[in-house]
Amino acid sequence: MRNQDRIKAVLTLSPSIILIGLFVYGFIGNTFWISLTDWGGVAALAVNPVKNYAGFTNYIDLFTGFLGGGFRQDLVNAVYYSVMLLAGAIGVGMFLAVMLDSKPKGEAFFRTVFLYPMSLSFIVSGTIWRWMLSPQGGVNILPEYAGLQPFTFRWLSSTGSILEFNWQNLLEIAIYLVSAVLLIIGLRLFAKTPRQSLLWLIPGIALGLFAWLGGEMLPKALFMEETHGFNKATFGIILATIWQYSGYTMALYLAGFTGISQDLRDAAMLDGATTASYYRHIALPMVKPITISAVIILSHISLKMFDLIFAMTGPDNGQTGHPALNMYLTTFRANDFARGAAIAIILFLIAGTFIIPYLVSSYRQRRGKP
Amino acid sequence: MAQVELKKVIKRFGSTEVVHGVDLFIEDDEFIVLVGPSGCGKSTVLRMIAGLESISSGEICINGQSVNEVAPKDRNVAMVFQNYALYPHMSVYENIAFSLKMAKESKSQIKDKVQQAAEILELTPYLQRKPAELSGGQRQRVAMGRAIVRQPAVFLFDEPLSNLDAQLRTQMRMELKKLHLKMKTTTIYVTHDQIEAMTLADRIVILKDGYIQQIGSPIELFERPVNRFVARFIGNPPTNIIPASLHKHDGRTSVRMGTLSLPVVSPPAGADSQQVLVGIRPDIIKTGDGLHSLPDEWQVQAEVIVSEVLGGQSLLEFSAGGTTMIAELEGRVQARPGEMITLGFDLSRLLFFDPRTEEAIY
Ligand SMILES: Nc1ncnc2c1ncn2[C@@H]1O[C@H](COP(=O)(O)OP(=O)(O)OP(=O)(O)O)[C@@H](O)[C@H]1O
Ligand SMILES: [Mg+2]
Repeated sequence: MRNQDRIKAVLTLSPSIILIGLFVYGFIGNTFWISLTDWGGVAALAVNPVKNYAGFTNYIDLFTGFLGGGFRQDLVNAVYYSVMLLAGAIGVGMFLAVMLDSKPKGEAFFRTVFLYPMSLSFIVSGTIWRWMLSPQGGVNILPEYAGLQPFTFRWLSSTGSILEFNWQNLLEIAIYLVSAVLLIIGLRLFAKTPRQSLLWLIPGIALGLFAWLGGEMLPKALFMEETHGFNKATFGIILATIWQYSGYTMALYLAGFTGISQDLRDAAMLDGATTASYYRHIALPMVKPITISAVIILSHISLKMFDLIFAMTGPDNGQTGHPALNMYLTTFRANDFARGAAIAIILFLIAGTFIIPYLVSSYRQRRGKP
Repeated sequence: MAQVELKKVIKRFGSTEVVHGVDLFIEDDEFIVLVGPSGCGKSTVLRMIAGLESISSGEICINGQSVNEVAPKDRNVAMVFQNYALYPHMSVYENIAFSLKMAKESKSQIKDKVQQAAEILELTPYLQRKPAELSGGQRQRVAMGRAIVRQPAVFLFDEPLSNLDAQLRTQMRMELKKLHLKMKTTTIYVTHDQIEAMTLADRIVILKDGYIQQIGSPIELFERPVNRFVARFIGNPPTNIIPASLHKHDGRTSVRMGTLSLPVVSPPAGADSQQVLVGIRPDIIKTGDGLHSLPDEWQVQAEVIVSEVLGGQSLLEFSAGGTTMIAELEGRVQARPGEMITLGFDLSRLLFFDPRTEEAIY
């Protein structure tokens, strides 16, 4: 009987295993292979295109090559975009959830209103926001209704950038970042286990000092200076994405808050907690799994972003570019299939760094339970 | 150390009134138990004292100061909830320390106080565990620890033991009693377990449908209940309530239940052949050795319906003169159904109630 069950199970699952194996993992492998070739150029669309193994040239070119500057700016854009979207959508969503958690009048109505933008397609919301953020309309003329000067900020077409850094010093910056992470972990451990925290603090300090003193000697990532930063023109896109997704994070948090028993809130009130300290010490720590899911979902959305940018600033806007758009243009407009594949793999790896720790921890949790 | 006073406190949820003008004065260091059937408003009264529920009308005073407008955290009361309401993401230490942390006490002070509380409650080995890693009894103690650590003026307990098994409940009841003797803090304790009420309380408040039925010491409630409800509610098994009539003859009064007629020692006021309800507590019925102290005319022949032996005592359901009653007899009385047995009633402890108002008549 058990054997029969097992055979049935295998039979039922095998079509999906085969299909997923082929069309998901097989194609990821194939993409990776293509990224290691030189498929592209004039004869790229021939019936039997020439594909020579080229090692990691495409990757090296993208990160350090003379012509990879556009991609590098897109990558920097994606990082700023993710960070700002996470902070904005989680911040606004949390705030709305806290407001609605106190059960004001019309709570159900507001919940629907805030969640509604989620249901729009990015093309629709992109078009709406493009109009809203146009230089002489929408948001910019709002102050005129109050008799004030209109805003002049060009949401989608500014050219300045802030928080700039030199790509040449990539290695130095990476070492600083690692050192900062080590120091933060070490300091957090310090209160509990001062011994163990030294294991983190000492390498952290050493790396920091090394980068500070020896930074000049480190190999440069590029042969010339190349500054990248947060382009002000992406601000409008970030705003639109936050608008679209904060209702979603609100719904996640609201579900979490509603799941906390009233007794806990009462107990906290009697223990002397204010509303703010209730959320800070009780409610938010308890919905930590929700914060983690929100971070993962939102960082994915920001890494995959394509249509909203396409609708708001068009595909060729160098200021507001994004690796996903770049991948599309490189592959299908420049017919540089190998380099497009390399961009795809880079995006895939970045996404992996977000999702793999999450999968591992949730798998462990499930295993831990009886 | 605090007195708590409720003056004509009314609570309405929407248009339904669930607490109807409760008046109650609680002395310093008193242990008050609120009992009553489910849904009678016990938790609501407690939550109003804590400030978790607003009051619709009336006034609550702590130490003579009206606290109607005072936030829960400023009332200096601590509450233990039925499901403990421990913070699941915090260790036992952090749970107990939370109120002190909110009060911005210094780290070393918090440490001292938490350790002291943990010592009293024997929680020291568990301080680093999360609530999920504790047994029911340990969680209960953490909830207590959280309450005692801030040395509040008033303790409020809402059925704190009802999630524990019978043995643990008895043990924790003793602990609670000891704790109260040690800490001497005014305590208001809600339960629907009358054994808890009888053993813990200085005074018991009996609630029914949002009305106070009676306030008094456990013995007072047991011996002189003010109405049929209280007589039935306090005592287990409950008082037998039997329709009867009182007859006066030659200056002596007798009570007739069915064909059974028994003399009345201290007759209540009332006319001849007045209809009453007689309350007979199961423990005033005796048999065997217990009969020696009772006059012959207080004894009757009864037919056994069923008997149960509970260790040192026995429960006997019997029929006498056409009425069925339950007796709680000393010793192991093994009687077969249908057997005749001699039973005596301690008639000095009969209770009488007006059949219409169900109030006691003395
Ligand atoms: N938030 C509320 N809204 C409406 N009615 C309520 C609310 N809370 C309690 N009630 C009603 O008030 C009455 C008293 O409730 P309460 O919780 O005080 O009962 P209780 O005596 O504690 O019962 P139990 O022994 O079951 O805990 C009940 O009839 C209940 O339905
Ligand atoms: Mg209750």
